[in-house]
Amino acid sequence: MVTKSKLKMALAADQRLDFKKLNQKKQRKAATRENAKKGEVMSKKVEEEWEDVDEESEDGGDVGVNGAGDESGSEDEAVDSMQIDFAGIDESDSDSSAGENDQEHDDDDDEDDEDIPMSDLEELDEEEKEDMIPHQRLTINNTVALTAALRRIALPISKMTFSEHHVVTTSEPVLIPDVSDDLNRELAFYSQSLSAVREARKLLKAEGVPFTRPTDYFAEMVKADEHMAKIKAKLIDEAASKKASAEARKQRDLKKFGKQVQVAKLQERDKERKQTLDKIKTLKRKRQGGDNETTNEADLFDVALEDETASTKPARKDRTGPNKRAKKDAKFGHGGKKRFAKSGDATSTGDLTGFSSKKMKGHTKQRPGKARRAGGKR
Amino acid sequence: MASVYKSLSKTNGSKDEDSANGLPKKNKQRVLILSSRGITYRHRYLLNDIASLLPHSRKDAKLDTKSKLYQLNELAELYNCNNVFFFEARKGKDLYLWMSKAPNGPTVKMHMQNLHTMEELHFTGNCLKGSRPILSFDSQFDSAPHLRVLKELFLHIFGVPKGARKSKPFIDHVMGFTIADGKIWIRNYQINEVEASKLPEPASTEDESANKKSKKDKSSSKGGRETEVKLVEIGPRFVLTPIVIQEGSFGGPIIYENKEFVSPNQVRSELRVKKAGRYNARAEQGIERTAKRGELGLRTSGGRKMPKDALDGAELFA
Repeated sequence: MVTKSKLKMALAADQRLDFKKLNQKKQRKAATRENAKKGEVMSKKVEEEWEDVDEESEDGGDVGVNGAGDESGSEDEAVDSMQIDFAGIDESDSDSSAGENDQEHDDDDDEDDEDIPMSDLEELDEEEKEDMIPHQRLTINNTVALTAALRRIALPISKMTFSEHHVVTTSEPVLIPDVSDDLNRELAFYSQSLSAVREARKLLKAEGVPFTRPTDYFAEMVKADEHMAKIKAKLIDEAASKKASAEARKQRDLKKFGKQVQVAKLQERDKERKQTLDKIKTLKRKRQGGDNETTNEADLFDVALEDETASTKPARKDRTGPNKRAKKDAKFGHGGKKRFAKSGDATSTGDLTGFSSKKMKGHTKQRPGKARRAGGKR
Repeated sequence: MASVYKSLSKTNGSKDEDSANGLPKKNKQRVLILSSRGITYRHRYLLNDIASLLPHSRKDAKLDTKSKLYQLNELAELYNCNNVFFFEARKGKDLYLWMSKAPNGPTVKMHMQNLHTMEELHFTGNCLKGSRPILSFDSQFDSAPHLRVLKELFLHIFGVPKGARKSKPFIDHVMGFTIADGKIWIRNYQINEVEASKLPEPASTEDESANKKSKKDKSSSKGGRETEVKLVEIGPRFVLTPIVIQEGSFGGPIIYENKEFVSPNQVRSELRVKKAGRYNARAEQGIERTAKRGELGLRTSGGRKMPKDALDGAELFA
């Protein structure tokens, strides 16, 4: 840890010197100095507190575990010092190199406490801990080293024209309440970029840098023509399929409706037929009752109708139904045996209708002779 | 075309020199783009997409090693690059993105998720190959030092420096970097300028913009005509989760580590453990059930025997 901080110090010192050479400006503000001093006082206080922790860390290595008790004790102050340092760093960034000596002090203090990460092991509740596999990672956030690294690589954006860097940062942080809400998330990204474009365009127009591509300027595009053709084909395909599905739905609806229409038509036809039949029936009844009142023409009409109905309906009735059975029975026989039907039985023996005693005595009336018979005729 | 470009660059050139004289530093960036072995086709396509967007990049063959990443420094020096943009694929599915300032750091390692290449996103946007993007950053990037480092790296790598070799003089796309949910979301849009006079009717345009949920921008252009800015997405899309920042380039002490980052391996293993847990619970239940049945004397073998009942059929009709 010590070696690291030393190295960093050397690095930082090197940097500072560079900065000095580059732009030596003597107007160091008293305000920044004061600020730094304030920080120094605070951080010194913190330093005392943290020294024992540091030693422990050097021995044990794992600070998060060893110095847990100390940490919890001095947490508030640590936070305080961090904030102050942060402020100091910010200021140094803004005017590139202000209050060098004081700043260096600050950095040292920072390193001492920054190297000890605050492990928020107690943050989680019991339930979550149960599920968690004991795989804890200590937060490392070495602010000083980060700012040093940043300063080393940072482009002097504030001194460059906009056309050099093209960086637009939003004035307010983009807030996305729910990242899984795709539409609103993408909308937030879109509006961020759109506002950036507006601002950039204004700045570029002010600088007189060409922005819009002229219509006659052709060059290779990121997406090749084949790719764009593919996209176009896909779009067309999508539109076509959408149209086709809409058409199909329409057809389906029509079909459904058409069926209804057809059913209604059939029902109507049925009804009509029934009505005519009813009418015919009533007419028939009327005629049977008494057709005196009906005129000749009506009579004729009735006869014709009656004939028609008579010729059709009863015939059909004859053809079908129990009649057929009777006919068949008559033809092929049914209902008991037909043998001995002509032989004598009790009733026929008892029947004396053909008996006559006169006939039995032989006293029969003589047949008259020829002459009589002939005379009788005359 | 060349004449147009020349005339434009000439007019700007004089201004450039002025500013260059006044300024100590010129924005000069070159990016080495490469990947490790074992990337999938989607990773490769994404790499190609990014390379096509960055005219100041140099694409190199896949790096053989995954452990000796410091070799990238030499490679970058060889190709005269001061930035390295490196895709590291693990297990044929996880992709890590390393971004580094080549000779002496810092280096950022990020986990890349939700990546979609231009090919698979059928967006209608398009832009000139090599035109310089506008970089739009969320102001949250200025809220913490590690985010500022990230922003600076994005600016160096994705921002095409002025006068880069293959860059075009017009601006027709914008890259958005947004922080949400502790991750960095990156989008790429085409800037579509429509002249207001060419638009059919204001009512219809309003409909369109309502459809796209975008606002109109009307400001006077060079000719004093009103133009409207719209964005059409080009792609690719991806989400980055910062994991670690190292002080050196592919080496040196770790100066930032994201505690919130959960490695995909851990996620997968937890899923597996959860699945195994389901089986274990079921097996335990089975054992408990048999024990309970034995206790009630309902099992033929083992467990407690039921006491003989005086009214039992076997007893009565013995």
